[in-house]
Amino acid sequence: MKALISSFLIVLLVLSTQSCGENDISEIDIPNDNFDRGALLTDIADNVIIPGYINYTTDLANLDLMANNFSTNPDAETLFQLKLEFKNAYLSWQSVSMFEIGKAEALALRNNTNIYPTNTSEIEENISTGEYNLALPSKIDEQGFPALDYLLYGVADTEEEIVKYHSENEKARNYLTDLTSRLVSLTNEVKEDWVGDYRAYFIENDGSSATSSLNKLVNDYIFYYEKFLRAGKIGIPAGVFSGNPLPNTAEGLYSEEYSKTLFLQGLNAASDFFVGASTNHDEIGESLKSYLDYLDPDGNALSEKIITQFEEIKAKANELDDNFVTQIASDNTKMLETYDELQKNVILLKVDMLQALNIKVDFVDADGD
Amino acid sequence: MNRNKNINTIGLLLLGVAFTLGSCGDNESEDNVPATYEFLRNGESTVSFSGQTTRILMAEELATALLDFDKSATDLQEMFANEDATGGDVSPFVNESLNSETKSIRSKVAASRDLFSTNATGSAAIKTQMDQWIAAQVSDVFPNENELAEIGKAGQIADGSSTRYINGKGLEYNQAVTKTLIGALMTDQILNNYLSPAVLDEGTNIEDNNVSKVVEGKTYTNMEHKWDEAYGYLFGKSSSVANPLADLGADNYLNKYLARVENDADFSGIAQEIYDAFKSGRAAIVSEDYNTRDKQADIIKEKISDVIGIRAVYYLQQGKKGIEAGNLGTAFHDLSEGFGFIYSLRFTRDAGSDSSKFSDDEIESFISQLLEGDGFWDVTPATLDGISESIAAKFNFTVAQAAE
Repeated sequence: MKALISSFLIVLLVLSTQSCGENDISEIDIPNDNFDRGALLTDIADNVIIPGYINYTTDLANLDLMANNFSTNPDAETLFQLKLEFKNAYLSWQSVSMFEIGKAEALALRNNTNIYPTNTSEIEENISTGEYNLALPSKIDEQGFPALDYLLYGVADTEEEIVKYHSENEKARNYLTDLTSRLVSLTNEVKEDWVGDYRAYFIENDGSSATSSLNKLVNDYIFYYEKFLRAGKIGIPAGVFSGNPLPNTAEGLYSEEYSKTLFLQGLNAASDFFVGASTNHDEIGESLKSYLDYLDPDGNALSEKIITQFEEIKAKANELDDNFVTQIASDNTKMLETYDELQKNVILLKVDMLQALNIKVDFVDADGD
Repeated sequence: MNRNKNINTIGLLLLGVAFTLGSCGDNESEDNVPATYEFLRNGESTVSFSGQTTRILMAEELATALLDFDKSATDLQEMFANEDATGGDVSPFVNESLNSETKSIRSKVAASRDLFSTNATGSAAIKTQMDQWIAAQVSDVFPNENELAEIGKAGQIADGSSTRYINGKGLEYNQAVTKTLIGALMTDQILNNYLSPAVLDEGTNIEDNNVSKVVEGKTYTNMEHKWDEAYGYLFGKSSSVANPLADLGADNYLNKYLARVENDADFSGIAQEIYDAFKSGRAAIVSEDYNTRDKQADIIKEKISDVIGIRAVYYLQQGKKGIEAGNLGTAFHDLSEGFGFIYSLRFTRDAGSDSSKFSDDEIESFISQLLEGDGFWDVTPATLDGISESIAAKFNFTVAQAAE
């Protein structure tokens, strides 16, 4: 009887908790795990972030060079070279996009680099007036890779006409090189900070408070995964949030062949980061995976689940067309299925992993107004 | 749980039952309360509130226009007042049907029977304050559309990937206007006007309602209509009059923020409670049970006041988080919304009392704490906590419950 009453009571309490949404107010203290967060941060800095920025700034320098070449001598050959460097730099950007911490955060690097869809009417107005301040927050959708994508692929229908457009429009060529030089200068600032003082600060801030390096970085990682990889690259164009597909919000809209490549690069970077694979793929360091395994030496269940899920996403994504606009038009279900696979890892990373690591989410869904 | 099981189990059990029932809203089952907000007379609907929908639509156009840098101060003021400076007719709205209206937002700001019928001074002061914000948006903020904001200088500031336009103290005037309207227009009209016995029982309303005497040419009695007008300020943009909870969040004003509060697990169920009270009160009017009507009105007054209080505290706490994280643009946006909700507190109501939960002096004190010195640029987390606590102290929720 006692047992019966007790269990009834528990059922009742559970019921009232669920139906009335009482929050669990018990705060669990930071666990005294002895995992070496400093070693983890060192590996992340030295194997992943810094080489990632070095690759990216190198590619950006080439992009800027080729933009200037094209601007001086706009023809089919210089446009071809410029497009190659555009693709290289856009891809290496995907490997560092998630690290919006330190100087990158202060400069809002991601917002100034890859906000799409880009605002073509504002871009055209900027070009025609020649008056624009790209440092203003309201200008983030008039610059970066999506704006370059438009200038290199979208201002006319054929390659010939695109060359012609630029040859006859000095202001457009100026805009082009302004865009590449802004990417270069912003990113150099971030890279210089990392190879300068920030690396040591990042590694030494190895505690477990909300402002510790790991807590912040893991939050940045999940924020990137949820908002940019899952929603930005797949969910929004597939219409997950709007009801109807929005193909014009796909990444790489004007080049018409890179949306899948860009997505896969971002996805691989996210899964590499989880397992601790270095940017140059020559070693495996400490990682979120090794941290989770350390906390659960017998099971390894969670890290394996996350890795398996990354593989599921990749398998699903490989079925997609290179151009998501085409994919959405022919069979949007495949996009939605990819989204669903991505979503499964949101749960594992944001709920299960954060609970295991005792890290609190430091961002909320935007209010939407 | 293991100790004193015998003694405590039954007591706890009862407590559990009481808790479950108490917090989840007890439905007084009235035989004549319909399943949905649908009331008929001779087979025709008696529910009507087109004037409320009109004002919500006007307010939504105004909200958009406040960030349209091509608008002049006159344009915006005409949208607010739906007349020109000399009282002449104007056509300021995109939606043509709104232009043919003689109704306006401004005339119903701080215009309730209970709070302002003998306080024309207070009413005028609030209207004038809103006029000033609208004018300042054009004179202070619009010229700096393409400037970065700094301490003491209006301009842009980034809030994530959004851009906010603030004055020299960090305040978005557009948020001040729209969030104040939630109190000064919707809340004031519902709580302090249409649900007031002074309005419901005015003139021969009771006699007429007792004999089902309808307004000439209409299907409803005067009293029924007053009640529905209150309903319309909350649900006037919902796609279904009868089932407005199906698309909660249907407008950008009170309905939206009821949805926000509903989505906070600490307060889930509140939308249903408000809807049920509207439904039961309206049914009580049909069955001429004015005590029940007023009891239901009291529930609505309390719950809608809660919505305003919860959102005021929520935004102050979000602003505090933003400041602590160094995300000033995000913080200023939250504080701007909170600023408007604080003004809206002026129109909340303690059930059974004949005045607002907050005096003018209390509101002014909160506002001056927020704006003193460099305003949001140097407001401290301690100040935000202090204001949050002062607000929550007047309600049955805690700062922590409202904060997330």
